[in-house]
Amino acid sequence: MIIKHVLVGALMASGLVAPAMAQSNTDITVVLSEELDLVEPCMATRSNIGRVIMGNISETLTELDVRGDKGLMPRLADSWEDKGNGTWQFKLHPGVKFSDGTDFDAADVKHSFDRVFSDQITCESKRYFADTALTFNIVDATTIDITATPAQPILPLLMSLVTIVPSETPVEFVRDPVGTGPYKMTEWTAGQQIVLERRDDYWGAAPAVTKATYVFRSEPTVRAAMVEAGEADIAPQITEVEATNPKTDFTYPNSETVYLRIDQTVEPMGDLRVRKALNAAIDRDAFIGTVLAAGTELAVAMVPPTTLGWNGDLTPPAYDLEQAKKWLAEAEADGVNVKAPVEVIARTENFPHVTEVGEALVDMLNEAGFNASLRMVEVAEHEQYYSKPYPEGRNAQLVVAQHDNARGDPVFSMYFKYHSQGTQSGVNDPKVDELIEKASAATGADRAALWSELFAYVQKDIVADALLFHMVAHSRVSERLDFTPTIATNQQLQLSEIGFK
Amino acid sequence: MSDLSLAKTPAPRLAPPLLGMLWRDKLAFTSALVLLLIVAAALFGPMLLGEMASDQNLRGRNFPPFSLDRGWAFFLGGDSLGRPMLARLIVAAHSTMLIAAGTVAAAMLIGATLGLVAGYLGRNVSQVIMRLADVIMSFPSLLLAVVVLYVLGASIPNMILVLALTRIPIYLRTTRAEVLEVRERMFVQAAVVMGASHARIIFRHILPVVAPTLVTIATLDFAFVMLAESSLSFLGIGVQPPDITWGLMVAQGRPYLTTAWWLAFWPGLLIVITALSLNLLSNWMRIALDPNLRWRLEARSTANG
Amino acid sequence: MTKLIGQRAIASLLSLFGLMILVFFLSRLTGDPAVLFLPIDATEQMKQEFRALHGLDLPVIEQFWRYIVDLAQLDFGDSLRKARPALDIVLEAYAWTLPLALITMGLVIVAAIVLGSLAAFNVGGFFDRLVSIISLIGASAPDFWIAIVAIVIFSIGLGWVPTSGVGTPLHWVLPIAVLFIRPFGLVVQVVRGSMLSALSAPYVKTARAKGVKNLPLIFVHTLRNGMLPVVTVIGDQAAAMLNGAVIVETIFGFPGIGKLMIDSILQRDFNVVLAAIMITAIAIFLMNILIDIAYSVLDPRIRH
Repeated sequence: MIIKHVLVGALMASGLVAPAMAQSNTDITVVLSEELDLVEPCMATRSNIGRVIMGNISETLTELDVRGDKGLMPRLADSWEDKGNGTWQFKLHPGVKFSDGTDFDAADVKHSFDRVFSDQITCESKRYFADTALTFNIVDATTIDITATPAQPILPLLMSLVTIVPSETPVEFVRDPVGTGPYKMTEWTAGQQIVLERRDDYWGAAPAVTKATYVFRSEPTVRAAMVEAGEADIAPQITEVEATNPKTDFTYPNSETVYLRIDQTVEPMGDLRVRKALNAAIDRDAFIGTVLAAGTELAVAMVPPTTLGWNGDLTPPAYDLEQAKKWLAEAEADGVNVKAPVEVIARTENFPHVTEVGEALVDMLNEAGFNASLRMVEVAEHEQYYSKPYPEGRNAQLVVAQHDNARGDPVFSMYFKYHSQGTQSGVNDPKVDELIEKASAATGADRAALWSELFAYVQKDIVADALLFHMVAHSRVSERLDFTPTIATNQQLQLSEIGFK
Repeated sequence: MSDLSLAKTPAPRLAPPLLGMLWRDKLAFTSALVLLLIVAAALFGPMLLGEMASDQNLRGRNFPPFSLDRGWAFFLGGDSLGRPMLARLIVAAHSTMLIAAGTVAAAMLIGATLGLVAGYLGRNVSQVIMRLADVIMSFPSLLLAVVVLYVLGASIPNMILVLALTRIPIYLRTTRAEVLEVRERMFVQAAVVMGASHARIIFRHILPVVAPTLVTIATLDFAFVMLAESSLSFLGIGVQPPDITWGLMVAQGRPYLTTAWWLAFWPGLLIVITALSLNLLSNWMRIALDPNLRWRLEARSTANG
Repeated sequence: MTKLIGQRAIASLLSLFGLMILVFFLSRLTGDPAVLFLPIDATEQMKQEFRALHGLDLPVIEQFWRYIVDLAQLDFGDSLRKARPALDIVLEAYAWTLPLALITMGLVIVAAIVLGSLAAFNVGGFFDRLVSIISLIGASAPDFWIAIVAIVIFSIGLGWVPTSGVGTPLHWVLPIAVLFIRPFGLVVQVVRGSMLSALSAPYVKTARAKGVKNLPLIFVHTLRNGMLPVVTVIGDQAAAMLNGAVIVETIFGFPGIGKLMIDSILQRDFNVVLAAIMITAIAIFLMNILIDIAYSVLDPRIRH
C-alpha cells in the first residue's frame, strides 16, 4: 500500500498523470480557502461544505431567499400547509430523480431525517432541532406529514437546513454524495480538488455551468492571484487588502456579527453602568475603513438586518469617552471594583485583522479607565472561554466572537447567546428568558414583534454585551462570468446562479 | 575588498588588541557595531520608547515610510494600528533577543553537553541519548507548543522551553559527530596514552575543535528561532500582543505584504541583519583567534605568489 | 555491520513506541475534539454522541489499550474529521512530501558542497564573502516573503509558472525553489566551516609541510573528514523537510504532510496526528541509520 501511494505520487510528480487542464468555456474553477474534510450532505450547514454541496449536489425541501425579499421558497417541496397541532403537510415535487437514477419520494425525506437524528452519525443539522422531536407520516409518494413536538412554528424554515438523500444511503459519512441537485460529484482527490459535473436529467432548469472544479488554497493572496492569472474563476473569501480591482472584486455583507460577549457574573461586569461605560468607550466608527473594510456596518443586534423582527429603531451606542469615565466613576463610588482586571479574549484568524481589532479595543477600554489586557488564543482554547461551563476563578472576560445567522430567524441565535441556559450566554435575566421562549413559540406578526422587543431590551435596557459590527466579505470573480456574490455566498454558492458574459 | 588585508598581512606572533584587529576588517567591524546597537535597543528600548510604540492611531494607519512629517519615529512608516514602526522595532528587540538568545543558549548548552557525553562515553550511553534525540526530532514543535500552552500557559519562558527543546537534537548530533572524529585523531589518542584526565581531554583537546562548528550553527539558529517563533505566533500559539517581537511583527504584516510592504519588511530585514552580523562576526573571530588557521593564510600567500 | 543494524533497529522500535506513548497522552491533554468538530451551538447530547462514537468517552488508559490492540494489526484508526483511515490520509500526503523533499535535498547537497568548499579555499576572499552573505540572507529571510514575492513576479508578472497547485512539473518549480533556500544557506555555511577545521587539521598541515603539491588529493582528504558535521546538518534539514514544509505547502496549495499535521493538531484529530508522527518518525529513524552508516563509511576509524 505504501508503495502504491509513493508510486502514484512519483508518477504525478513526473507529470505523467497530469489532471486534465483543458477547459471548455462553460467549465469553471472555484478556489476555496480550506479543504473539505467531508462531502457529506447532512453536514451541508457547515459553510465550507455547504458552499460545494448546497443547491448543487443536494437540495432541501424549502429554500430561504437570503438576498431578496421572497422569503421562504419551494425547492423539493412544492407547497406546505399547517395542519394544526404541530403537524405540517408537505407536497413534494413529482418526477424528481437522484443522481444515482432512483426516484425521489416521501420515504427519502423520512430517511434523510432519520439519518440526521441517528446517534450513529454526527450530523450538523441536528442542532437546529435541539428540543424538538419530529415524527413522520408518509401519506403517499409525494405527500408527507411532519409533526413536531412541541409545535414548531418555523418548521418549514427548518426544512431548508436538511438535505435530502436517497433511502439507500447508509447511516455513516459517505464519500460519494448522491442528491437531487443539478450537479453530481465526479471526482474527489483529497488535498487537491473536487469536481462537479452537470446532470442531464435534472428536474429543474439546466444551469449554464457544465463543470465546476473546486481547488483549495489557504493564502488569500494566492486565491486572488489565481483569478488574476486566469487559473480560477471565482475566489470567495479574499481579504479587503486584496480586493482592489473594482472590475472583479465584490464586497457584500456576509451575515457575520462581531461582538464582545460579557460575562455578567464576574466583577466589574455585573454593574449596568460599567457595561454602559464599556460600550461608550468603544469608537466603533474608527474601525471601519481602517482595520475593517469599508462597508462594514455597526451592529445593534446579534443578527443581520435581513432577519425577522429586525428593530430599525435601535441605534449603536455613541462613542463618548467623558460619559464612559463618568459612568465608571459613579460605579466606583458605589463600591464596584472598576479596576478589576479585564481580559479581552480573541481567537487568531477568527476574521481578518482580528488581532488589530483586539489591540485597538483594549487600547480604547484602557483610555476610559478599564484595566484591560488582550489575550489571543487558538480555536480550541477560545471555545473554552466562549462556551459554558466557563473556567472557575476567572477574571472578567470579554470574549471577541463572531456569530453567523443567515437563516432568517433570530431563534438560531437568541437562545444560545442570551437565555440563562444558553451555551454562550453571559446573561441571567428572567425577562429575557421569557421573551425568548414566547417569541420561539409565536408565529407571524407576533413573532416579529416579540423578537423586536427582545432586541431592544438586550441592547438598550440591560446592555447585555457590546455589539460591534456586521461584517462584509470580499470575492473576486473573473470578468468572463456573470455572477454577483451576495450575503448568501457565505453559506452556499449555487452554480445555477452563475452565467457567462 | 577591504578585508584582503587580513589575508596578506602575516599574522603577528602576539595577538594585537582585539579592537585594532576588528577595525581592520570593515565588514566584521560593522557587524559588531550593529550587534551592539541591537543589544542596546534590547536593553533600553522598552524603557525609553515603550509608550510611544504602543500609542495607537487608527485613522492614521499604514503610514508610508521615508517621511519625517510625523517625526523620526515614523521614518520607517506606521503599522496597521498607526503606531510608529521604528519605535516598535526598537522596543521589540527586547523580547526578540530574550527568546532567541535564551533558546539558542539553552539548546546549545544542553545539546552540546549530551553530545559530548554521547560521543566520548561508550556505545550504550550513546545509544540511549541518540534514540532520545530521535524522539525529539520526530516530535513536531507545533504539538509541543500546543501541549505546553495548554498545560503551562503562554509566556516567554515557556516559549523558550518549546523552541529550545526542538533545537537540542541539532547541537547534540553535531557535537557527537565531531567528537567521534576528533577522538580518533592523533593528538587526542596521545593525550589518552599519556594519562590525561577526561576533563582535560574534553576541555583542552576536544571542545576547541568542536566549538567552531557549534558557533556556526548557533549563529544561523538565531535567525531560525526568530522565524520559528514568528510562525507559531501566526498560528496563535506563539508570542501574542501586547508583547512584541520581530517575529510577531513579521507574522502580523503578512496580510499586508502586497499593499503595505513595510509592515513585514523591516522586522524581517532586522532578522536578516542580525543573523548576517552574528555570522560575519563569528567567521571573523574564527580566523582571528584560531592560531591553527595562520598556516593557511601563509600558505595561500605563497601559493598565490 | 548486520548485527549493528539489527541492534539499531530494535532500539529505534523502542523509541518509536516511546514516541507513540508520549504523543498519545500529551495530545489528549490539549482539549476535546468534539467541541471543534461540532458547531458552537451543538447540544451537550450531540457532543456526547460524538465522543461515544469515537471512543473518546472511555478512560484514557482504555482508549490507549484499544489503540495498541488496533495498532498491532496495523490499524491506525479513522480520522475524527474526515471519516477515513488515518493511515491512508497520511500516506497520500507522504506521496507528495517525499518526492518534494528528495528533489530539494538533492539540489541542496550538491550546491552546498560545491559552493561551501570553494568558499573555504577562498577564506576571507571575495567569493567567500559573497557566498556567505547570499546564503545567509536566504536562510534568514521569512519564507512567506520569498514565496509570495516569487508568485507575484514569476506567475502574475512573467507568467512563466502557475501560481500554485500540483498538476504538472512546472507546478513544482516554485515550491522547490522556495524550499531550497533555507537548508542551502545553512548547509553551505556548515560545509565551509567544517572544511576550514579540516584544512587546519595536523595531518593536512603535515602534508603541506612535506611539500605535497597535490591540491586535489588534499581536497579529497579534507572533504572526507569535514563531512561528518555536514552529514549531520543535512540530516537535520532533511528531517525538518520530512516533517513537512508548512509555509510552502500552505501558500502553494501543495498537499503534503506539513499542512496535514498542523491542521490535525489544531483540530485535535488525534488518530491522524499519531499516524503522521509515527510515519514521519519511521522515515527520520531510517534516515538517521543511513547517516550513521555514512559516518563509518566516511571515517572508518569510527567503526566500533
